[in-house]
Amino acid sequence: MLLMLALTVFGVVAAVGWTGSVRVRHVFEFLDRQQTDTLVGQFQHEFNQRGADTAEAVSRMAASDALRRMAFDLANGGDSAPYLTVAVPLAQEYRLDYLEIVGHDGSIISSLQWTARFGYKEPAIAAAGKPAFLKQEDVPDGSSQIGLFAVRAVNGSDAPLFVVGGRQLDAGFLRDFPVPAGTQLLIYRNVSGPFDAHNFAGATQGVDTAEHFRALVDDARTNGRNAEGVVYVTPRQEDSLSVTAIPLTGAGGDVLAVLVVANSRRSMVEVQRHIRDIAYGIAGLGIIFAVGASLWIAARISRPIEELARAAQQVAAGDWETRVDIRTLDEVGDLARSFNNMTRQLAEQRERLVQTERVAAWRELARRLAHELKNPLTPLQITVENMVKAKKLPKKEFDEVFKESAATLTAEIENLKTIVGRFSDFSRLPKPQSVEMDAREAVRRVVKLYGPALEEKHIELGTAISSEPLPILGDSELLHRALSNLVLNAMDAMPEGGTLTVSATRARNMVRISVADTGAGLTPEECERLFTPYYTTKQHGTGLGLAIVQSVIADHNGTIGVENVESGGARFAIGLPLVEKAEA
Amino acid sequence: MGRHFVISALLVCAALPACARTRPHYGGTLRIETQGDPWQAPDGIARRLVLDTLTTVGDAGGALPALAVRWDSQNADHRWEFWIRADVHFQDGTLLTSDAVAAALDDTCSHAGANCPWRAVHGVGPSVVFTSDSPVPDLPELLGQTEFAIARQDASGAVLGTGPFRVTGFANGALTLVANDDCWAGRPFVDAVEVRSRRMVRDQWLDLSVGKADIVEVPPELLRQAQEQHLNVLMSRPVDLLALTIAPDGAMASREMRQAAALAVDRTALYNVIFQKQGEVTASLLPEGLSGYSFLFPSDQELDRARALRGGATPSGLTLGASDTSAPMQLAAERLALNLHEAGFNVQTAAAGSRQTAALELRRAHLEAGSPRAAFDEMLARFGQNGTVNGTDAAALWEVERGILDNETIVPLLWLPRAWAAGERVRDLRLSVDGEPLLADASVEGGK
Repeated sequence: MLLMLALTVFGVVAAVGWTGSVRVRHVFEFLDRQQTDTLVGQFQHEFNQRGADTAEAVSRMAASDALRRMAFDLANGGDSAPYLTVAVPLAQEYRLDYLEIVGHDGSIISSLQWTARFGYKEPAIAAAGKPAFLKQEDVPDGSSQIGLFAVRAVNGSDAPLFVVGGRQLDAGFLRDFPVPAGTQLLIYRNVSGPFDAHNFAGATQGVDTAEHFRALVDDARTNGRNAEGVVYVTPRQEDSLSVTAIPLTGAGGDVLAVLVVANSRRSMVEVQRHIRDIAYGIAGLGIIFAVGASLWIAARISRPIEELARAAQQVAAGDWETRVDIRTLDEVGDLARSFNNMTRQLAEQRERLVQTERVAAWRELARRLAHELKNPLTPLQITVENMVKAKKLPKKEFDEVFKESAATLTAEIENLKTIVGRFSDFSRLPKPQSVEMDAREAVRRVVKLYGPALEEKHIELGTAISSEPLPILGDSELLHRALSNLVLNAMDAMPEGGTLTVSATRARNMVRISVADTGAGLTPEECERLFTPYYTTKQHGTGLGLAIVQSVIADHNGTIGVENVESGGARFAIGLPLVEKAEA
Repeated sequence: MGRHFVISALLVCAALPACARTRPHYGGTLRIETQGDPWQAPDGIARRLVLDTLTTVGDAGGALPALAVRWDSQNADHRWEFWIRADVHFQDGTLLTSDAVAAALDDTCSHAGANCPWRAVHGVGPSVVFTSDSPVPDLPELLGQTEFAIARQDASGAVLGTGPFRVTGFANGALTLVANDDCWAGRPFVDAVEVRSRRMVRDQWLDLSVGKADIVEVPPELLRQAQEQHLNVLMSRPVDLLALTIAPDGAMASREMRQAAALAVDRTALYNVIFQKQGEVTASLLPEGLSGYSFLFPSDQELDRARALRGGATPSGLTLGASDTSAPMQLAAERLALNLHEAGFNVQTAAAGSRQTAALELRRAHLEAGSPRAAFDEMLARFGQNGTVNGTDAAALWEVERGILDNETIVPLLWLPRAWAAGERVRDLRLSVDGEPLLADASVEGGK
């Protein structure tokens, strides 16, 4: 119940905490999305604005006198070589990061970003007059940069020049953005090659976390659509970021860069942790409450039941007078009342059973006494009657009859005394005078005593006596008497000879002594009643022998049992407590 | 008659100032500005003003007497003897002796990178004797190179020579040299020369325009611009060879790869655009005007053949550097990298001033010699090559040069001239055979 209550409280608190945490996460994710959308919108606006500024600057340059003169000069056969570095001052004047002056045939005349590219073709002139667009520009160091470009033609001659001008989309471009605290705005450039963290330009200098954006950037630039995910910068939850990677495409629709908006999840994690801490606190209090409630409920419900259980154990142990207190009027009270009724009825039934058994015993005793006494009394009666009749005979004959009758009477009376003596012995069986002894000695003594008698009756003797001492606390005389009784019974069971097996072994903390014969064996009823006083299977037995054996063994705190042997015969097994000697 | 006399007298009087204007005047200070180190061999301007060589190179080539008045060779040009001019003194008054000359030349040869073709040099009485293991037929002209100028150091470590000027100090970024009145070649016209070194060309031109400088440099790529600005420009014959050197090891160990790289370069673009059509396109170690055969070496770009020779191999990690950090050299290196990229080479240009060893290097080699044979030997020495010319005619030279260039470790690109712009007050300025201004012969207007 304690566990149930604790689990219930914990479960409820965990469910509430989880629900709160999930709700908070949803709210933060919603806010993240809104913030990302806002930033992307601002970026797009700034992107368009910068594009318009770039296009306007390029248009002004294309309309300048310097370029018109240059166009006129070249159209009239002028040499383009002197104009090799003309892009440098023009770019400074019009504040452009990229500038190429391209001839009417598409050959570069002057390039700001890569002066040595003069004479090479610039395909971007196909976009002359169009709005600004994103373009990847190769630079001499082998890397590529991203810029917003516009292309304008320089009119004024039949063979116009083209101005391809642009401004870099770099960290400086992003630095002007009003980025909220905890948010990073980054641009990944050089999308054509394998991912390289150095291709990031961001508002935050030193893009240490760039490597963690690899999967999202690769997804965005490969598939050309937004990629979202959570990035764990460190194993700490609060250092995770909600990242959205947005592909930026050029005029041809190809992905040229990836805009990365990374929002810190620190606030959300801290709120979730706060909720979790509160939930832990509530759960702890709940568990304490559950413990208190359980103890109170135990006092009300469990304790009477425990008392009932304890009383039942006492009844099982033989204490029939055990009773429980009836403290309540509820079901537990009814249960206690029923228990008390049950124990009372059991005691009454037991008393009746004892009385019945006692009567039966007395009846058995009377029957046995009657049976035993009846045999000698009949000859006594006949002898006395013969003596009365013989009184009429001549003295000589009377004396002869008297002499024979007196001998008969004496013998029968002696027989009666023997019978009475046996019963007297059973009733006066002494308590054992226990001393420490070796059980093997008692066994050997009996075997030695009855060895010659066994040979006479053609009974083979088998022994299995432990080589180790078998110390017990016992009365050697009583044990000898008991074992002798068992051996005599076995001899009686084998009138035609057989095998008597006597063993004494150690079994755990017991000494096990068995006496087995190869006689006819016992019926189940005989096995059950064999130790009952005055029960016998012999024609002239008193039925006290095995009862005495059982009494002796019981007085030695031992046990005795009988069973049939599968190969034939019966085996009596005695168990006596072994005296454990302390280790030296 | 009298009227004719008066008119003639008036004409003579009018002509006199013009005559006086063309006659050199002593005195005054000549201010020259340069980009480089004034003491750097071979073309440091101060070095040439302070130091003399045993011989000088004449305008038509060949050696002329300088500190040595005559010379003679024995043992099939294995032994040369130069007789030292008498009564020549260093600028501290010490007499120039043959031992001093030998010591100066030994000191020169002890420096790393020196190209001394002789085994031993020693003074014998009034002469200096050179002995070598192989014949050095053009030793007299070789000794006219500023690399072998005769110098000594005084106790304070100052460099002393026998030249027309001596160093007096360095102040405000300018090295001041005053005329050596006791110069064996005669006192120069100007009293002093101020050398302002490591000056950007743009600043030099600005100083010239405002009268703060008298002589400034005009790089080849700015010659056209200088002429457009009507500067008084003096231009030499082609004296600087622009060449691409390819290390014959590593990724370019294969001759075919080097040949592919050589065929990929577009000399015309360098000549027409970067160097503004100055000098001459070449594939030879000697300028056409000197050898007469350089046109025989093909100089056209052959991209298809270059790609075929490359055979699909793309050596990685190739770097192309430039021997100096000037803008045109860097630009030319970038252009060559583009050319090589077109041919399938993955080449990156080394950053300006980078000390990393590049597999390909764009170098500028200065030529001082005036004769084909000496010029050829000088170029071989500049590029660390060896070659023996058997014969004195151009065919023998061409044969040896072709053998060397066939190895494709040197790819000559352009021969460029040197040019200087002089201010209005500079008179009688001439350039040496290798394009350096002969300041000792110049004078300034407004002198004594």
